Formats: sequence, C-alpha cells, structure tokens
Amino acid sequence: MSLVDAPLAAGVTLGDFLLVAAAGFAVLAVGMLYRAVVGPTMQDRVLAVNVLGTNTVVILAILGAALDEPTFLDIALVYALLNFLMAIAISKFTVERGGVL
Amino acid sequence: MTGALAALGPAGAPVVAQVTAIEASLFAFVVLTALFTALARDVLAAVIIFGAYSLGMAALYTFYRAPDVAMTEAAISAGVTTVLLLLTLAKTTRIDHEAAFESVNLPAAGAAGLLFGGLMLTMGDIPAVGSPDAPIWSNPDVTQWYIAETYAETHVENTVMAVLAAFRGFDTFGEAVVVFAAGIAALIVLHREVFA
Repeated sequence: MSLVDAPLAAGVTLGDFLLVAAAGFAVLAVGMLYRAVVGPTMQDRVLAVNVLGTNTVVILAILGAALDEPTFLDIALVYALLNFLMAIAISKFTVERGGVL
Repeated sequence: MTGALAALGPAGAPVVAQVTAIEASLFAFVVLTALFTALARDVLAAVIIFGAYSLGMAALYTFYRAPDVAMTEAAISAGVTTVLLLLTLAKTTRIDHEAAFESVNLPAAGAAGLLFGGLMLTMGDIPAVGSPDAPIWSNPDVTQWYIAETYAETHVENTVMAVLAAFRGFDTFGEAVVVFAAGIAALIVLHREVFA
C-alpha cells in the first residue's frame, strides 16, 4: 500500500484529495486567463502567463503524486525552465525592441 | 475516455468524478486560450496567450499519460515557437490597435465550423482507450512481431524509436526532405548561399 492509498477520512484516500486539489488548480487557471486576455498592458499579460506556467508546474507535480507517476516531475521541471525562458524573452522584447535573447 | 481513466483509481465512481473535473477545466482552458489567440487584435498579445495555450495542452497530454508528447509540446510550442514569433515581431513592425479583439470573418468562421463538424463526425469510429476491439489488440500477430523482432532486425533497443527511424524510415526520410526544402526556401528568401 503506497502513501497515495492512505485513508484520510471515511472512503477518501490521499490520492483522491490530491486529485481534487489538482482540479481546483486547473479551475484557477481559467481565472488567471482573464488577466492574460484583458491586459491591459503587456506586463500584465507576461505576469499572467508566468503565473499560469507556475500553476501548470503545480498541477503536474500534484498529478505526479496522485497518480503515482514520478516521471511527471521531469515534465514539471522542463516546464519551470521554459516558463522562465518565455517570461525573459517577452520581457526583453517589450523593453528593448528588437532584442529577444 | 472515462473507461481507461477509471482504471487509475482502485474504486471507480469518485475518482472518475474528480478526473473529469480536471479534464473539464483543462479543456475549457485550452479552448478559451485557442479562441483568444485567434481573436486578439494585437500580435504580441496573441503570442503571449498562445504560450498559455501550450501550457494547458502540455498538462492535458501529461494527464493522458503521453509525457513524451507533453515534453515536445513544452519545448517546441512554449519555448521555440514563442521565441521565433517574437524574433519575427522584432524584425517587423507591430501596429497599435484601438480595439482589443479582431472582428470575426463570418465566411471563414463558417468554413472552419464545417471542417470541425466533419472531423467530429469521424470521432464515433475511433475505438475507446484500452478497448479490446482497437486495431492494435485485434492484430496481435503484427504488434507482437514488432516487439519480438525489433532488436534482431534493427539493433535499436527502443521499439518506438525503431519503428520511427527504421521501419518507417521512408516516412521519416520524407519529413527530412520537407525540412530541407524549407531551409532552401529560407535561403532563397534571405539571398544567402550557405546555411551559416
């Protein structure tokens, strides 16, 4: 019996709880999208996408624990790095026109 | 879809409900980002929202146990495509617009809707995930042959890799030709003679 199957309350295991948490973060992502779409400035959008990326990393990490798939953490790591790269690239683009990397 | 995912949890019903909540919110997120990418008037805003789209898409791929596809989506779509689009924007001009959203071209939207409807009609013929009627299970002679003979035939340890590069070699060769042709076209446009 793995840790994920450990019962928290009657009929609810730790894995179930983690899945609910992941679903909650996924719902929050739709809310964060509002700032990315509405803006109004580019900085708002960059920040919103950066938060969305961090949110995705959290969802992937929780899913990795809930579904007992450690390989999900590798993808979460790749995402954390790419998220940083994306924020840097867009920020640099908005500050100095023509410079991306 | 739910059939295969039900197997994730020990006892069906509650897990399926939670899993569907994750799926539903990820689908809503992906559809919304795709819609806003298409409708955003400002190109830079569209590029940024497109980055968010690929974030959701990669999470969805991971959720359906396709981590390799998720990794590719993350690296290519979120990383390389964003930077390439920004570089293109830096080389060209970005016009400031009054309106936040593009007005919808109705004939184009109708054509896209028809294509979408046509594609959705074929969905019924796709076997469910893990279904015993799926072609991959109903032809065990073929699938087992690849598993048994791959190493002897190609000396590649990973069967998926062997199918891509050896058994489907001509297909991959065709892809390489397409990429090479695109490179030549870029050279012609840039008035260069060498890739450097």
